[in-house]
Amino acid sequence: MAGSVQKRAGFKGAFLEGWEIFKESLLGRIGLTLILIFALMAVASFIPPMIDPMYHPMHGVDPEISFSTGPSLRHWLGTDFMGRDILSQLLAGARVAFMVGVSAAFMSIFLGTSIGMIAGYMGKAVDTMLMRLADMIMVMPTLLVVLILSSLFGQLNIWTIVLIIALFRWPGVSRVIRSQTLSLKTRPFIEAARVAGASHFRIIFRHIMPNVLPLSFLYMTFRVTSAIIIEAALAFLGFGDPGTVSWGMMLQWVWKTGHMFKAPYWLLPPGICISLITLSFYMLGRAMDEVLDPRLRKEADAS
Amino acid sequence: MKKQYGKLLVLLWAGLLAWIGILTGSARAASILKVGLLEEPKTLNVWLASDTWSRKVLGQIYQPLYVREPKELKLIPWLAESQPQYDPQKICYTVRLRKANWSDGTELTSEDVAFTGNFIKEFKVPRYYSKWRFIDRIETPDPRTVKFYLKEPRAIFLGRTLTTPIAQKKQWEKVAVQLRKAEKPIASLMKTKIEKPIGSGPFHLRQWKQGAYLYLCRNEHFFAQGKSIEGMTLGPHLDGIIFKLFGTSDAAILALKKGSIDMFWWGIQPGYLQDLKNNPNIQLFYSEKSALYYMGFNVRRPPFSDATLRRAIATLIDKDFIVNRILQGNAIKMHSIVPPGNRFWYCPDVPKYGEGLTKEERIKKAFEMLKGAGYTWEVPPLKPDGAIQPAKGIKLPDGSPMARFTILTPPADYDPNRAMAGMMIQEWLRMVGMPAFAKPMAFGSLIQQVKVRRKFDAFILGYGRLSLDPDYLRAFFHSRNNRVRGWNMSGYTNPEFDRLADLSAKAMDVQERRRLIWEMQRIIMRDVPYIPLYNPKLIEGVRKGKFEGWVQMLGGIGNVWTFCNLREK
Amino acid sequence: MELRRYIIRRLIQIAIIFYVILTVLFLLFRLAPGDPVSRMVDPTMTPEDAQRLISQLGLDQPIWVQYLYYVKNFFTGNFGHSFHYGKPVVEIIWDRLPNTVLLFTTSIILSALVGVFLGKIASWHKGKATDAVLTIGALVTHTVFLPWLALIMIWLFGYKMGWFPITGMISEEVWLDPESGIFAKALDVAHHMVLPLSTLFLIHFGAYLLIMRSSMLETLKEDYIITARAKGLSEKVIRDKHAAPNAALPVVTSVGLSLAFSINGGALTETVFTWPGIGRELVFSVSHNDYPLAQASFLLIAIVVLLANLVVDVLYAYLDPRIRY
Repeated sequence: MAGSVQKRAGFKGAFLEGWEIFKESLLGRIGLTLILIFALMAVASFIPPMIDPMYHPMHGVDPEISFSTGPSLRHWLGTDFMGRDILSQLLAGARVAFMVGVSAAFMSIFLGTSIGMIAGYMGKAVDTMLMRLADMIMVMPTLLVVLILSSLFGQLNIWTIVLIIALFRWPGVSRVIRSQTLSLKTRPFIEAARVAGASHFRIIFRHIMPNVLPLSFLYMTFRVTSAIIIEAALAFLGFGDPGTVSWGMMLQWVWKTGHMFKAPYWLLPPGICISLITLSFYMLGRAMDEVLDPRLRKEADAS
Repeated sequence: MKKQYGKLLVLLWAGLLAWIGILTGSARAASILKVGLLEEPKTLNVWLASDTWSRKVLGQIYQPLYVREPKELKLIPWLAESQPQYDPQKICYTVRLRKANWSDGTELTSEDVAFTGNFIKEFKVPRYYSKWRFIDRIETPDPRTVKFYLKEPRAIFLGRTLTTPIAQKKQWEKVAVQLRKAEKPIASLMKTKIEKPIGSGPFHLRQWKQGAYLYLCRNEHFFAQGKSIEGMTLGPHLDGIIFKLFGTSDAAILALKKGSIDMFWWGIQPGYLQDLKNNPNIQLFYSEKSALYYMGFNVRRPPFSDATLRRAIATLIDKDFIVNRILQGNAIKMHSIVPPGNRFWYCPDVPKYGEGLTKEERIKKAFEMLKGAGYTWEVPPLKPDGAIQPAKGIKLPDGSPMARFTILTPPADYDPNRAMAGMMIQEWLRMVGMPAFAKPMAFGSLIQQVKVRRKFDAFILGYGRLSLDPDYLRAFFHSRNNRVRGWNMSGYTNPEFDRLADLSAKAMDVQERRRLIWEMQRIIMRDVPYIPLYNPKLIEGVRKGKFEGWVQMLGGIGNVWTFCNLREK
Repeated sequence: MELRRYIIRRLIQIAIIFYVILTVLFLLFRLAPGDPVSRMVDPTMTPEDAQRLISQLGLDQPIWVQYLYYVKNFFTGNFGHSFHYGKPVVEIIWDRLPNTVLLFTTSIILSALVGVFLGKIASWHKGKATDAVLTIGALVTHTVFLPWLALIMIWLFGYKMGWFPITGMISEEVWLDPESGIFAKALDVAHHMVLPLSTLFLIHFGAYLLIMRSSMLETLKEDYIITARAKGLSEKVIRDKHAAPNAALPVVTSVGLSLAFSINGGALTETVFTWPGIGRELVFSVSHNDYPLAQASFLLIAIVVLLANLVVDVLYAYLDPRIRY
């Protein structure tokens, strides 16, 4: 018991210490700033439809414009092929990207961490089975799997897509968490808890989990990236949720309606946004990596 | 280490190139038309070809007895010499053949025609069997005469049966022998591969490089060569056609602009138009299509078993919005099941719901219609003072609230327009408080749901190639076709309609049949099991400089007339 | 000896995994609503036509009979006929495979070589401007959205500049000309390959650069490098002869581990550039309900990924004697 309390205090301390290191990292700062900008965009996405119904990203059309036009005062980024405002679509896309990225990442991290801890802690047959399952899922190209599923079971809605992404992206995390758990298992405080008669469940979630969580969070940033990319690619190929305006969907529209060559104002923004949000989470991840990887930290101290 | 990598790479490259295949070059002829296609033809087996791409290519190779001329769309003799002679006593048609040859030089005889018909009947060739099953027997008194004996009079015989492509007995006899031995003849037919189709058309296949192009050479034995038909001196005046595969419209249109193809045989999307219009080297053709895009209801169960509700929905749908915004003005509104371009069969005096009304007027009108039929609301779409408000909680005449319903549409990757139209219709129906949800669905699942399971509320589908003969009216709405996999997807049953439909199928007099077909259209548009939405216009582009003699007809410039008439400037 | 036992164990594992994939795939495809016959929307196709087709294509048999046929057919190398093309699936795959292999291997090898080379340079100039430029550049190209990059390539080099063809892999002008020899044809393919290849290259080389850079930094701290320095060897020799070959090992592993990711990218690239390969065929068959073709392409991809993982593991075990499983 005492051991675990101490550990948690240590966790908080480690967090503050980590923040100090994180602040030093240029990549981390850039990444975090970009993410904040995108978050602002997502929040701002609620504003345009309130100004005028024609700014609704999905079904608001400019009453006077029924084709794609370039940037103007009324439409800062122009309109799409049926007269919808590209800027409000772009803002709504940020919301979708966050929703997809964060929820898929959270689910896959939850799955991956739990499975990794259980496999590592239980060992033997459970471990072998779970890890072989992980191997199998890991080698699957997620995009193609989701593509096959969405063509088989009709066009999927955005939450189903999120769920499938989560179901296919946990193995990487669980492998890392498993090996972390394996090394934790031999530590005295776990042994102490076991002797004290704590149940497996309690040991896993009270004693092991706090120690592997930082690592999970690191992986979460990378999972956000991959979830956003997969959703965007899916939407780009025309298999996305047609009721949501995502950046991938915008690219699909510009591609499929034949505006690619003549509407750079429409082609560029969504692509830049997808790339930048991926980049920012990636940078954040790398910065956190530096915080968490003691070997790299040592190197930083030395130089 | 690095040098080894380099050698390995070169070796790998060479090996792969060898694998990709080195082919023997063909002689390069002087005047070759280059046509851009979007996708690879699926097959050169004429009985399997159900996709547009195969049909585009095979249409230059296989020819029917009669074809439609470009202006009035009347049937005129093609492989046949003259109009068929009808003997009402024996229900027998006699067709005289022209002197014609196959592309391998052998003569095309009545044996080939009889063989084609018997082949379709014997193996129940899908899609063709229904056009031939009512033929009792085919006789060939001499090599240039064919007699078709029908079991009963059938109106579709001329327009559908006699326009079947004729296949060569010599080539298909071998296949027939194989099929008779096979345990599952249709499945075997589907797997039969035809490397070099032998036809009687203006061109024949020289080479098919998978994933890249098809090369068709002029057929020296083409029967219409030098003949004057319909005021055109037919060639072919070209030495060959190359069908080049592009995969995306972007690439094909770029190729058209650069001049590396002379014609893009596919509708051009609105996004490209402005650019192409301003290009002095490009000529655009705007043609009508024989097509139908529509919203269908499941009239077997509530709420859409009520015709008033269907009419109210027809009133609420803004066809102008769909045509002008979603389709960018490159379509015409449809008011009947038969497209207006099919002038002879199109019935002009059907009810036109919601025509010319504004959004407010639509809502008001639909509201009145529904209120009149006993529908009630928690919050009606009209305030007592007549102003529009967001409606809520619509209730059916029996007092139960309207359950949420889905409008199934094809997915955006298959047809973005229909998916988008579904989303818009959902919004319009919600204005009067209907709990509508548009749901794009994979195409196969959609059809499964609508035709096989028959559990659905409404759907949006379409036919890009509707035949010119209006017999499909009967297929779509006759109660006999209201069954699993049947074409009456709405489940529409009306004895009066059935009676007219049966009469129309047997009516051998054209004027009489037209009267029946018009009456059928009026009935359907009164009951609206389908709401016709739009008929897209076909915009095709060609290069101006090199070739002339394009022939425009319903369905665009890609027709046998164009390819027989086209010549170098 | 130990290595051989290891390989055998891995092979058995792969066989089991593969069999599971095979079965899951079968179940998925049979559970899905919609059959290929339904797709033939043509008002002249009567319900009788459809029923006859369904029974002749064997779609009306009990599911376990279909499963037995499926497994039997798989092991006899019979993947059935594509519903769409009406040709044996094997024939179609055999036809598309070389195109994919060509594009894929060339892009992976090229990006790995360049990534290793630049990663070496970056690590050598750690903390300097060169390093910063290379690292940031790698990060940006690695995270750019692939289909969009492909579209930009098409827009810029295909449309604006007009330098490269934007679709397909050969042009009929060259291949129908009797005078063009093998060299001209190879050149034509290469010309078509430039854009898809550079797209894949840009996406991949960044990852390899970053891995090489950090692996190099690790290696430079190893004892034998310090010994080499003490011996007074020149920095260039230490870098190129001693550190780099060892540091490149993780790159090799990551090629294998990121294969699934690369295949996603490959399929997207092939689709946008309509490169007639397996990836495009898979996307196409998936949207056309062509079960046999989709199944076979997916199984092929699964086999390739599994085997590639094996090869990488074995290679790693072989090259780095410190690692044994």
